Formats: sequence, C-alpha cells, structure tokens
Amino acid sequence: MAYLFQPDYVRYVCSCGSLKPISKMYFCRHCLKIRCGYCVCHEADSHYCPNCMENLPSAEVRLKKNKCSNCFDCPCCFQTLCTRAGQAPLRPPASSADAKQDVKATPKKVYYLSCSLCRWTSRDAGIPDQYVATGGWPEQENPNSTRISTLIDFHKVLASKEKQEQQRKKFPTKRTFLQYEKFGLTSAMVRKRAGKPLEPKSLIQHSDQPAPAVANEEVDDLPAGIFTEAVDITKITTLEQRLQHPDVQAEKINELRPQHKQFLVKRSQRCRGCEHNVSKPEYSPQSIKFKIQLAAFYHVPEIRIVTCEPLRVGVASELLLKICNPTQHQTQISLLPLDTPTTPTTVTASGEEQELKRENIQMGSESPNLLPLAVRQISVTEDPKPITVVSGAEIALPECPLFLPPRDDAAEYDETNDASHFQDDKKVVVWRKGNKIVVRLHVTPFANEQNKGEPVIVGFVLRHGYVNTLATLEHKAPQKSELNVQLFLTLGNLVGTA
Amino acid sequence: MLRYEGIRYISDKQMVVLDIGSAYTKFGYAGEATPRGIIRTEVKCPESKEIRRIFNYIDIDDLYQLLVEFLHLLFFRHVAISPKDVRIVVLESLLTPTQFRETLAKVLFRHFEVGSLMLLPTHLATISTLGTDTVLVLDVGYQEATLIPVYEGVPILKAWQALPLAACAVHECIKKDLTDSIPNLRIPEKTVEDIKVRTCFVTTLERSAKLGTDDAPSPPPAVKYPGLKTIEIPGYVRERAFEVLWERDNDNLSISTMILDAIVKCPVDTRRQLAENILLIGGTTMAKGFASRLKSELNTLLKSDLYSDKLKIQTFKFHKAPSKPNYTAWLGGAIFGIADLPARCLTKENYLKSNRVPDWVCLLDNQKDDTSNCGI
Amino acid sequence: MEPQDIYYDKNEYVETASGNKVSRQTVLCGSQNIVLHGKVIVQSDAIIRGDLANVRTGRYCIISKNVVIRPPFKKFSKGVAFFPLQMGDHVFVGERAVVNAAVVGSYVYIGKNAVIGRRCILKDCCYIEDGAVVPPETVVPSFTRFSGSPATCTEDLPECTQDLMMDFTKNYYQHFLPAKM
Repeated sequence: MAYLFQPDYVRYVCSCGSLKPISKMYFCRHCLKIRCGYCVCHEADSHYCPNCMENLPSAEVRLKKNKCSNCFDCPCCFQTLCTRAGQAPLRPPASSADAKQDVKATPKKVYYLSCSLCRWTSRDAGIPDQYVATGGWPEQENPNSTRISTLIDFHKVLASKEKQEQQRKKFPTKRTFLQYEKFGLTSAMVRKRAGKPLEPKSLIQHSDQPAPAVANEEVDDLPAGIFTEAVDITKITTLEQRLQHPDVQAEKINELRPQHKQFLVKRSQRCRGCEHNVSKPEYSPQSIKFKIQLAAFYHVPEIRIVTCEPLRVGVASELLLKICNPTQHQTQISLLPLDTPTTPTTVTASGEEQELKRENIQMGSESPNLLPLAVRQISVTEDPKPITVVSGAEIALPECPLFLPPRDDAAEYDETNDASHFQDDKKVVVWRKGNKIVVRLHVTPFANEQNKGEPVIVGFVLRHGYVNTLATLEHKAPQKSELNVQLFLTLGNLVGTA
Repeated sequence: MLRYEGIRYISDKQMVVLDIGSAYTKFGYAGEATPRGIIRTEVKCPESKEIRRIFNYIDIDDLYQLLVEFLHLLFFRHVAISPKDVRIVVLESLLTPTQFRETLAKVLFRHFEVGSLMLLPTHLATISTLGTDTVLVLDVGYQEATLIPVYEGVPILKAWQALPLAACAVHECIKKDLTDSIPNLRIPEKTVEDIKVRTCFVTTLERSAKLGTDDAPSPPPAVKYPGLKTIEIPGYVRERAFEVLWERDNDNLSISTMILDAIVKCPVDTRRQLAENILLIGGTTMAKGFASRLKSELNTLLKSDLYSDKLKIQTFKFHKAPSKPNYTAWLGGAIFGIADLPARCLTKENYLKSNRVPDWVCLLDNQKDDTSNCGI
Repeated sequence: MEPQDIYYDKNEYVETASGNKVSRQTVLCGSQNIVLHGKVIVQSDAIIRGDLANVRTGRYCIISKNVVIRPPFKKFSKGVAFFPLQMGDHVFVGERAVVNAAVVGSYVYIGKNAVIGRRCILKDCCYIEDGAVVPPETVVPSFTRFSGSPATCTEDLPECTQDLMMDFTKNYYQHFLPAKM
C-alpha cells in the first residue's frame, strides 16, 4: 500500500521503456514480458453510474448519451444532488368549497433536488416539485435541434450521392459538379474553381436541401444598463458552470438546471503483443474482483528498500533490500549488473540454455476467439521510450543465487523458523521468513557534478526464474524460464563527501 | 424527447468528433446537436504532478507524452469509449503547425490504434452549420484570431488572415490593468478568465474613442470579486478589457481590418457576397457587445481613407449558427462527419503503410488531379 | 519502502484475545455498541461514538490518533435518526480524520485530516487523500482516488489495490509493537 502514497522508490523498467512502480505494471504470461498502462491496449468494458451503481448494456448507454437517468449533478458545484421529500406547500383556499376538499385530501408528498454541499435546490431555480421520487424532471432541449437534424439529413443525402457517383465511375473523371468534392482543399482545386463561371444551379440544387441560413444586418447590442447598473457577481455564472451545459450556457445563476450524472467505465487491459487480456474486471460495478488479473505484483518478485545508510561519495554504504516471491513456485533470484541483456532464456529438454523466442514460448491452448497469428492485424507498435535515468552509484551485487520458497498463505500462522532449509551466505541474506528474504548490499556513490542535489539512483538487473503454468493445462510439464528485469532504486540524497 | 433522438443512429458505428482548441477541447459524437462536453486542454503531468497545457509543449517527445495522457483521459473519463478501431474526426485550423498534426496522428494511430482519422479544416467545416456555401468565417479563440473566406465551398486561401488578437491578449490586458490598480496582486490566469467572463464587456465605439481622453465617460460601476481576498474590479478595467482587439498595432492591423483586408484580397465579384455572409466563431466572440462593436468598427473603417477607394461595400451581414459560437466549429465537424466518406478518411492501414498525414501544403498530395485526395 | 517499527507503551494499550490493540486514552462512547472484529488498532485520543448507533469494523482496521468515528444521522419530518456505521476489513484511517460515513468498504485508505461527510458510502478499494473533504451523501466508487475540497475523483487506483492494502495493514499490525522496557 505504501505504493499508493509514497514516492516511487523502486521502479521497474517496462518493455516499453517506462519506469513505473510494480503496482502499476502487468505481466503478460503469454509473452513473458512486463507491460504497463502505457503499452497495453485499454478497452471500455462496462459503463456504470458512480452514484447509484446501476450498469447498463452499451446500447442503452449510447441511447442515454452516457448519462444516468436518475442521478443528477449540482449545476453550481458539480456534486451529486440528493432527492429530498417535503410537503406540498399549502395554498390559501380560494373559496370555502375548495377549503373543504383540501381538508379531506391528505397532504401530498413532493420531491425536490437539493445539493448538500452548496445548498442549491431545484426550488431556488424555480423547477416545479415532482410527485414521484425518481425521474420526471423536465429536460432542457437544444432550441436548434430541428434545424441541426435537417442539416444532418441533408449531409447524409450528399454523402450517399457522392458514394454512388464514385461507384458508378471508377475511372477518373471531372467530378467538380459534385457538391462534396468542392470541399476538397487542394490548390489545384482552387485554381480550377477560381476562373469558372457559376455552376449551373440545377446541378447543386436538391429538392431536400434545407433553406440556407439568412444573414442579418442586425446584431445583439450591449444591454442598455451595462454602463450604469451595478453588477452582483454572485448572480452571474462562472465559465465552468456554463460549460457544464454547452447548449444553454446560462448566464444567470437561477437559469442553471441540474445535469444528468455521467457514467464511468470499467476498463480491461489487453497486451498489445499477443492480444490476450492482462486484466479484466468482473462486470458488476460493485465487485472488486477480476476475471483475469495478471498484475506484475503477482508474478514478478517485489523488491523493497528496508534501510539505507547515509550516502557519502566514495564510501560504501549498507543497503538492505527485502525481496518477496509472490508466485506459487520456488524461484531462484540473482542480481546482475545493469548492462546484462534482458532477453528471457529458457532451459531446453537437453539441458542447454537458449534464448526464449516467440515461437518456443508455450502458448497454452489458444483460446478460440483469438485469431491465428497470420490472420491477426499487423500489430501496431510504438517505439520504446529511451531510459533517461542515470545510475549515480556503484553497487556490489552478490554472486551466489538466492532461493525463495513459494508463497504460502498458511505460513503466516506458522511460527517455526525454516531458515535452516537453505544454505544461505549469512553475509548476504540477513533475514528469511516464508517467501521473503532481506539481503545486504553495498553501494558507493560516485562524485557526479551534473546531478548535484538530485537523489542518488542505482540500477541493476533482477533475474528470476518463472514457471509458466499455462502449459499445465495441456498436461505438459510447466516450462521454466529465466526472466530479466531492470530496476532502478532511488536511495536518497548525498549527505556529504568522505 | 431529445434524449432519445439518437435512436436512428444506434445501428451504425459511432464517430467521435474532437475540436482540440488551445484553451478548451470540445468533444462529442457525430450526428449530435451539442458536444458531450467542453474541457480544458490541459493535463496533470504524471511525473511532476503539475497541470500543463498541451500547447505549451517543449518538444515533439514532450507533446507526444502530453497528448497520450490527455487523450487517454478524454477517451476513458469523458467520451467513455474504447478508442481502438473507432473513427475520429478532428477539427484543425489550416494554420496548425505540421509538428502538431503529425504528432496527433501518430498518437491516435500508434498509441490508441484508432480505425480512421478525418482531419477537417475548421473554417470549412463550420459552413455546414449554415447550409450555405459562401461564408466569411472569423474564428477568435484563445491564442489567435484566424480568418478564411469560403466562396461556393472553396476556401480562398490567399485571403487568409491571422493575428495574435484573442483571449490570451485580453487576459494579459486585464492582468496588467488589475496589477496597476491593485499593487502586489498575484492572480492566476484562471481567475483572470473568470473575471473576464463574468464582468467584462466590449464597449461601444463612441465611448472607446473617448476613453483615456479628458472628457472620458463615467466608467461602469466597479464589481466586488469574491475570493480568498475580495478584490474590487474597477469599472474602467471592465470596459477596457477587450480594447486590445480593436486598437490597431504597428502594422495598422486589428480584428476589423482583418475582415476588410481579406475582402480586398478576394476577387471583386465575390466581395459583396462575402461581406453579407460573415460568421463569428470561437469563445472570444461571445463577449457581450462583440458583434455590434465589430459592425460599427467595420462601417467606420469603410469610410476611412484606407478602404474608401478600394471597397465599395454597403452593408455587412452576420450569420447566426444554430449553436453557441464556442462550439460552432465542433458542430460543423459533427454535421460533416455524419457523412461517411471513406475517401476522405485516413485509415489505419494507409497510415501505417505511408507513415504520413496528407497535408494541403505538401506537393505530394497536390500533384495529382483532384481524384485521389484523401483526408483534406 | 518497508515500514518502520512503531513502538507503543505497554501500559497504555489493552490487547484483547482477538488481537485488538486499543489505547486506554480513547473515548469509546457506548462501548457495548462497538464491535471490533479482531487485529484492530485504535490509537490514543480516537473517539468512537457508539452511543449514537452501532459501529462495526472488520479485521485489520487501523484507527490512528485523534480520529473521530461518528455514525451519521438523517433528518426526518419527525426528528432525527442515527444509522449504524459499517467498516470493512483492512481499512486505514489517518490521523485527525473525521468519518461520518454510512458504509466504509474493505481495503479503503482514508488520509490524514480527511473529512468524510454524513451518510457517504465508500465502496471497496478506494483512496481518500490527505485533507480531502468528501461532501455528505457522496458515493465513492471502487478503484478511485478522491482529493480536494470538495473531493472529486482525480485518478484511478491500480488493479492490485486489494493486495496492496492487505499487505499494508498487516504489515502495520506486525510492526506495531510494545516498547521493550
């Protein structure tokens, strides 16, 4: 959780070159690569109202313009409005006959909207109270909607005409009489058009062409009293309030109307390399569970800084790191210098090490909805970002590999010390419990004139064994591979020179 | 009911229309009458945690990162759609730096993998909101005022005008006036914008002539502006805020000369029609009194020595688009975009093959006859 | 960063059979209405108003110093009624925070000096930043981070928030140790 409120002290390098904390990364089991929010493909999975948690199928979301029909935002402060119940205000009886009826009738319950933050109510705005608790609030219509829809219809007709023409005449001809073609913007076009006489009217006139707008010499003048009348700024809306409702953009506070609350989306993430999902949430907006959850936090060993001695240029300081194995398999870890290549390797059946390529990754059974590689679209790839971080210290890395037992949730209650199972170098491994170890390393900052005042950053490559359980679905032996990931640790500022 | 008007488009794929302005971005779907929302074109930088404007980018790489962050937020928080394979219409000024449009296309195709992109010139798309073909479009936004006359659906490019006279200049002016009257005042631009929108207006030509002289008219009442510390905005600040748009600079240029100069550059037989079909778009033209001041400035200039010989126009007529001026360009895109024309779109496949965006300034896209122009 | 050990005075804290560690310097009004579900830490000068309505917490909740937990009320035409306050597992409430919510889900982080308004509903896996003021009757959806006054959704949380939060509260409990005499 420290990841949520602390600066990112330990950053992993993603396949795309971004530096991110492990909490924000994914691990694609199919490509055996680390991915992050920048290099996966996000998809909007389901829409839901953040207030009433209602979720709707996407067709209905489109119909409702991505807004909740029951929940409203305050037009003043943009917080959620609550529906309040009240009694209908008693009207003074007009005649004695009415008065008798009123006595018999039970007082009706009425509802109005109110903001609990800025105290705006629908009564202030002059919106009549409703007799039902949900819905029924008057909608504001765009005054120009009919004009716009005729224009849209006209453009649709134009477009279909142009399409027809294009299909009829596959060979190039002069098509300048086409309405649409005139919107082209090549200079050749302009030259052609410029010297021409007016087009014959019959060709551009369509029967369903909407009446063109008429320009007017009259324009809105300044309000008469603007030079003399005092302005009460509290009655004038701010730009933010106006833009909340683009088609009205009311100027006076009492013309503001409640706005339907916008839906939020639940997102799923897909690896761009292999099109498999790396994260897919459950459909319900209430649920925090996932159907597919391949966060790096569950697959890649996590490294945390425990303590670091004050750093001095040229002096070795002790650095304690905690390493945690989140997987269900024992893993072997080695820390290597930063210039180690990060291509994954695997051990073949004959026992020799070979580079892991796309072809020899056991993909598991391809799910039927994934197209075979050849048919799939050309994958669009962005260029990886260059890494701009520079290491500011020398780090002494242990030569022997470190073993981490699998994660065991029951071990938490187990008090026995199992450190004896592993032949650890006591100089390196200072503590061991369950799937976690603490290792001692030494860092020696160099004198660096450029990065004065900046915190010291040190980098290394973490090599960890990874057991790909995908293949076990097909009763094959799980594939073991060695993966390398670059890491950068921010250790803190120099306290002085030796 | 309006909320259900979309029912007839429910079967076809949605098309997202974006108008990325230098201050505000308008977004929504093609075929709708209003944008879904208008948000500031700025984003919180993930590293430094500060709010940055997209257009204040340092270099191309920086712009790329800013656009990725901004569009990600736009797609998933505001438009709420998966951008993959979606069709996009982007409105752009003809004067957009090539750097910007190429980076935008790269972000959309390479990062978001959109299906196709249609880049529409703002001024040209705007005329589809009127149903006429001849309009002189003046766009006064945040960074600059741009003007392109469109005659019979063809933009007269040689008559284009652009001046850095827009909201940004107005803000500078208000800020200067306020700091002069209240020393040690530090106000962020956001507050200046709010002061402008809520209190300032464009004064009349008669009063403007007398401002600063001995017989200056009595200024409008001052306004108390609440905040952490209430500041009083003097009346003259309110009145003078927009004067910078009309004061002619060293080259004798202002918003009103832009219109006249453009008309002068147009062929003689188009002039009267253009002058009688003026459309004002952009948020700054929504200032109170903008249009009436523009009209009186134009009429006065017409009689002056500068133009009385060159122009024989009698009247200026203004159009009213069926929208608020600050999103008229977006509406143009939303109407134009509904026409599904594959020939004018740049598809993902084509982009990945050629790795470039067709551009009207580039000879490569102009050499052939008008049969194969894709994009604009 | 690995959390540092926090030492407390053995005489100040009461440890129950279920592992709750409650400071003696707290104000627990109506203690019969307060249920702490085990391994909960309530630090000094915290106030829990069980006298107004029931307060239930899940396991591994951390109530920091000077926190006020107060069941919310609702006004009716005939007076006022208090509602019970439910809190899930693995919840952290930062120092001097005021919690008036109706429901606080599991794996929720409430920052220092935050104010959670009346009858708010905090769903599972959400994060209220330090000093945020959540207006009354707000619903905070899962995997969102709220900040500011009035608090608004500013960011999304990572998918593994549940485990990050579990790890954090468990670690906190393990590092909350009696001072050696």
